[in-house]
Amino acid sequence: MDISSFVLFWAAIFTSNILLTNFLGMCSYLSVSKEIESSFGLGISVIFVLTITTGLNWLVYRYILVPGNIVYLQFIVFIIVIAAFVQLLELIIERYAPALYYTLGIFLPLITVNCAIFGVSLFMVIRNYSFLQSIAFGAGSGIGWLLAILMLAALRRKLKEKLVPVGLQGVGISLIITGIMALAFVGFSGIVQIQ
Amino acid sequence: MFSVILKDVALLSAIGVTLAVIMVIAGRLLSNYGQCKININGKRDVIVTGGSSLLSSLNDKQIYLPSACGGRGSCGACKCKVDSGGGPLLPTEKPFLSKAELAQGNIRLACQVKVKSDITIDIPASIFNIRRFSATVSEIIDYTYDTKGITFKLAEGEMIDFKAGQYVQLETEPYNKVKQRVARAYSISSSPQINDSLQLIIRYVPEGVCTTWVHQHLKIGDKVFLTGPYGDFFLRDTEADIIYVAGGSGKAPIKSILEDLAVKGTSRKMTYFFGARTLKDLYLTEHMKSFEQVFENFSYVPVLSAAEPTDNWTGKTGFVMPYFKETIRDPKNTEAYLCGSPGMINAVTKALMDNGIPQEKIYYDSFG
Amino acid sequence: MKETPRDARTRVRMMPGAITLNGFIGKDKRSLPEIIAADEVKLQSLNRTATEIAERMKYFVDASFSTFDGKITIEGIYVVETEVTRGYLQCPYSHGGKIRKSTTCLTNTKTGVTVTWTAMNIHLIEDHGFFEGKGSTYRLEPEQLVKALF
Repeated sequence: MDISSFVLFWAAIFTSNILLTNFLGMCSYLSVSKEIESSFGLGISVIFVLTITTGLNWLVYRYILVPGNIVYLQFIVFIIVIAAFVQLLELIIERYAPALYYTLGIFLPLITVNCAIFGVSLFMVIRNYSFLQSIAFGAGSGIGWLLAILMLAALRRKLKEKLVPVGLQGVGISLIITGIMALAFVGFSGIVQIQ
Repeated sequence: MFSVILKDVALLSAIGVTLAVIMVIAGRLLSNYGQCKININGKRDVIVTGGSSLLSSLNDKQIYLPSACGGRGSCGACKCKVDSGGGPLLPTEKPFLSKAELAQGNIRLACQVKVKSDITIDIPASIFNIRRFSATVSEIIDYTYDTKGITFKLAEGEMIDFKAGQYVQLETEPYNKVKQRVARAYSISSSPQINDSLQLIIRYVPEGVCTTWVHQHLKIGDKVFLTGPYGDFFLRDTEADIIYVAGGSGKAPIKSILEDLAVKGTSRKMTYFFGARTLKDLYLTEHMKSFEQVFENFSYVPVLSAAEPTDNWTGKTGFVMPYFKETIRDPKNTEAYLCGSPGMINAVTKALMDNGIPQEKIYYDSFG
Repeated sequence: MKETPRDARTRVRMMPGAITLNGFIGKDKRSLPEIIAADEVKLQSLNRTATEIAERMKYFVDASFSTFDGKITIEGIYVVETEVTRGYLQCPYSHGGKIRKSTTCLTNTKTGVTVTWTAMNIHLIEDHGFFEGKGSTYRLEPEQLVKALF
């Protein structure tokens, strides 16, 4: 891939938004988006974890999996690397920065099981990104995810005062909104294509 | 080929082990909060190792708060009151709390609260109380030819908190042809003031899996498991007159209610009708009669429907229903507590309503 | 007739000690579908259906619940008595729902036939056409049942 890291970064935010084009990370997206404040905190944590784990997994892939000839085990290895890293990060923040823990740290366990994190690591392998590209793609995806959840949270706040048919309240209407947002994001796809 | 597999497994294990070692060391260094005490409802203290969530700490102690998502903070089912030691409310919890709950200030999600120090919590009594108790048979009394009273002593340190009238489930051990455990429900007949043991009155049922075991196999000193307490058959705290009606082993919950009242004291007018067939079906008559001395206004009325001539029965005969009329002072201010078979409940309910007792004041514990 | 895997699982639950002390099969060596089919043939020759019989049994049980205790005479010729014990059983066919533990004893004074059945019998007949295996404690012979009920 000879696409520049800078372009990749922006593409990951808009044209290939991890949530709105791949629908990854839906679980926490739907459950946390009830509050803007919480959504923001979670989004920031996702950016942080995504950037670092994508980098970590790139190193693991390049220097352990490929030389060791066990690329087929990448799913398992990536998952344990992500889980261990998130756990470790949580422990450190909790011990040394309680204030940060209460705003960001508590979201970390939710992220361990966020498939967006794992998805980005897999895309990085499939699309054969370099280290720098991976970091850029990771950070961009994280920002894209934050953008998506913030938009939904803002819309849901408005929705609280609106009359929504009983059967659609909560997750139902959120999924419809997400679908419409995804359609809107398709509009960006003319700018740049990454695949 | 084989060496390739071995190498791959070794490499994967190496990655896993390395990460695990890092985690263990980090856990030791960073997440060591020592032993913490969780005080539940001001009634019971459990000691847990700090560092994990309140939800999983309670699970370890067999106290199961409802949880659908398994502690990921996405279902909001594990709400409970944390009175102290829970730290500030987290943004992960806020979306699940209503305005009223936020205003209350101490409603938290148990899966998000970490146990890092001693903590005081409040959970619904029904969840807190229902547990599986291990117990030992300490006494077996033959009340009649087919009814036994069995006392179970709970394991050291265990306490059961129940309302007089509730029931527990007794688990059988496998015996003879019965290869697996079965659980059957029996009302507690002992008073709730005794909380380190409980008594069940169990009548032999032909073909009954559990009663056969109880009557033919259970011995003093045997270990059993009980789960409970369950049920919403218990005395309402009012000043109304009371009519109790029981048949067969339906005596158990009423015995518990009366023994409870004997400790608490009451001036309510109470009449207890016990319907049986013959004299040999009557039991605990002396004990029930003795309550007439304990309470200001209580009478025990055993009624035999098929007394044998040899019984020399001088008491009341037939069914219990015709005798209600003479005991009811003010039907609108009378409650009835019934325990027995559906036939008995139907017949008695009808008779009570004919006498003017409102249906909503008739409480019953039906067998079927 | 061959047993389906489901029948085989049900048969296990019908063995002594699984749901009830003595089970539902008795000494019967036939497969479940065979037992059911044989009784169905019998019913046809008697010109009755399983549903009809179950309805009639339920009618007598409900009627017997109107007395406090002991026997009750229904329609002038049926003497019925139901005894209930606390708790519920599960159906061996393992669909949800709880079945009461009761035994009903009915004597038809006109034909002089007496039958005894449980709440489980009614359910098994109504929903599964199963009258239990030969030699089982609560096996009901369709012929006797029809003589007693109608």
